[in-house]
Amino acid sequence: MDGLLSLIKRQGSSGGKKAVASVALLALGSTFEMVSEHSSELKKEIADWQDGVVMLLGVFPDGPAMSVKKENGGIRFLGMGMCDADLKVLFKNLDSAMMVLTGQMGAHTAFAQCRAVVYGNLGAGMQLSRALNIVQKFILPSFMLNRTFKRPPVFSSDDLLLKARVMATLAPRMISGVMRRQCL
Amino acid sequence: MNPEYYEFFCSVKIISGKKALSNLPYEMGLLGAGNAMIITDQGVVGAGLLEHVKAAFDGATQKIGVVFDQTPIDSSVKVVNELAALYREKKCDCVVAVGGGSCLDTAKGVNIVISEGNGDLMAFQGMDRLTAAPKPFIAIPTTAGTGSEVTAAAVIADTERGVKMPFISQKLYPHVALLDPRMTLTMPPRITAATGMDALTHALEAYYGIQKNPVSDSFSLTAIRLINRYLITAVKNGADEQARMAMANASLCAGIAFSNSMVGIVHALAHATGGCCHVPHGVANTIYLPWGMEFNLEKRHEIIAELAPYFGVAAGGDPRAAASGVIRAVRDMRRELNAICKLPLTLKDAGVDESKLEHIAKSSLDDGSITYNPEEVTFEDALAILKKAWDKE
Ligand SMILES: NC(=O)c1ccc[n+]([C@@H]2O[C@H](COP(=O)([O-])OP(=O)(O)OC[C@H]3O[C@@H](n4cnc5c(N)ncnc54)[C@H](O)[C@@H]3O)[C@@H](O)[C@H]2O)c1
Ligand SMILES: [Fe+2]
Repeated sequence: MDGLLSLIKRQGSSGGKKAVASVALLALGSTFEMVSEHSSELKKEIADWQDGVVMLLGVFPDGPAMSVKKENGGIRFLGMGMCDADLKVLFKNLDSAMMVLTGQMGAHTAFAQCRAVVYGNLGAGMQLSRALNIVQKFILPSFMLNRTFKRPPVFSSDDLLLKARVMATLAPRMISGVMRRQCL
Repeated sequence: MNPEYYEFFCSVKIISGKKALSNLPYEMGLLGAGNAMIITDQGVVGAGLLEHVKAAFDGATQKIGVVFDQTPIDSSVKVVNELAALYREKKCDCVVAVGGGSCLDTAKGVNIVISEGNGDLMAFQGMDRLTAAPKPFIAIPTTAGTGSEVTAAAVIADTERGVKMPFISQKLYPHVALLDPRMTLTMPPRITAATGMDALTHALEAYYGIQKNPVSDSFSLTAIRLINRYLITAVKNGADEQARMAMANASLCAGIAFSNSMVGIVHALAHATGGCCHVPHGVANTIYLPWGMEFNLEKRHEIIAELAPYFGVAAGGDPRAAASGVIRAVRDMRRELNAICKLPLTLKDAGVDESKLEHIAKSSLDDGSITYNPEEVTFEDALAILKKAWDKE
């Protein structure tokens, strides 16, 4: 994440921010898929999601964005780009997206500061937000989680092992994520 | 406390006081409208309030195109769509809501359908989805609680699918809010108490929530001061016009505050309880308010302590003690209301079955209000509050 931040600072331009937001969303999407296979906490959280539902997280008006689909009890990362999702959570601009995606601001603070909107059922938006919090637990370093979460997340020994695996496999998963084409 | 960042918006023209209602045709004229659709309910009609509205049109060029007086409690998608068709059939050019939150939210739903020209309300669920300019819309509240006359929110039940659909958009603000003392005089004591406690909950949750800001704080404080001074009087003596007007203004101020700073766990639980057990919104808030404040005490005692003078609690000294004093004062107010009009103080008294608690806890987590609650809320946290609120005051 620190690497990401210095990249933003160096680049500064909206093109650079877009690139960084894309990388962060890619990491989030591919990790969502992986964690949904192994974390009992996330499995429980998404248990009630309707099979086939497509959820998108991105930046208004035309991305970057990533989307995921509930499939066979787990999550499939569909890829990058805007699509016709059942629910969209959109940051109003790139700066707001960057703050959350790079772990500088919690999602609840982004909503409290009116930096993001939900298109679709607000209840489903809450479910996505809770699930993404669990995914972030496996991506962000603890000092960021402690600073941005209302209550710092608790790690079981299984969680710690999973976090190590997530980190070790992040790069290859992101490369395969780039290969996936748009959802639907 | 200075927020890192905030946004604030309220576009409603407020006309409040003696014979305010007489301005209705004039305000319609300013909005370029001449033919009103009145949306109200049986309770309002039964209380004779529609006569005041009709009398306001005496000698005016504007007229009433149609009156719909069958609005259901908590509104419904079916009714909204039927009303949109009626609006077109009667060639109305203005929506006038006369009632409590149920009528006002129904009118907001109708305005979505007629302005956007799309009968599928589902398509507009969420935040900032409306793009068309809203039709002229005037709100005349007859309860003093929801503040819906000055909020950007509407909640409409889809009874077929068994879900409540929230809509948030700055295009949902009425153009004008007319507060006339005659319109709340007839509210029975228990509805006065419950709706007044809804307003107090808006003001408090907005004040100690994570979206608080200096502008909405000032509206919260005004509401808290007025409610402390006038709610009991309005419940005890419904004919007291001064108390009624004070409560109408308090509810409006609390509405402006929470439309910008949102609410928290108390509302999340109240919405979930209303959805599954049909406990009136104000009653549910009354039950949960002290428990919700206690739940946030650790993180927010310094902010809650600032309210001590408004509740007649000794300020200064230990903020934790002062904040606990505020919560005690809220409990005392509830007990007094219970003694006057039997306002329920526990879920058991409100007729909620204990077997429903887990369901309420689960659905409260999907309520957007939870986002703005200072403390994180898990299923276990929500259930713990519900178990206390079930039979303890
Ligand atoms: N849009 C918002 O910002 C917002 C905020 C809070 C609550 N709400 C919604 O508002 C609804 C509750 O509204 P409410 O608490 O105002 O109650 P309500 O509109 O449901 O009315 C309750 C009862 O009181 C009667 N009544 C109303 N005014 C009266 C009067 N002056 N004299 C005699 N009887 C009268 C009504 O006929 C009805 O039977 C809920 O659906 C809630 O979800 C909306
Ligand atoms: Fe309310």
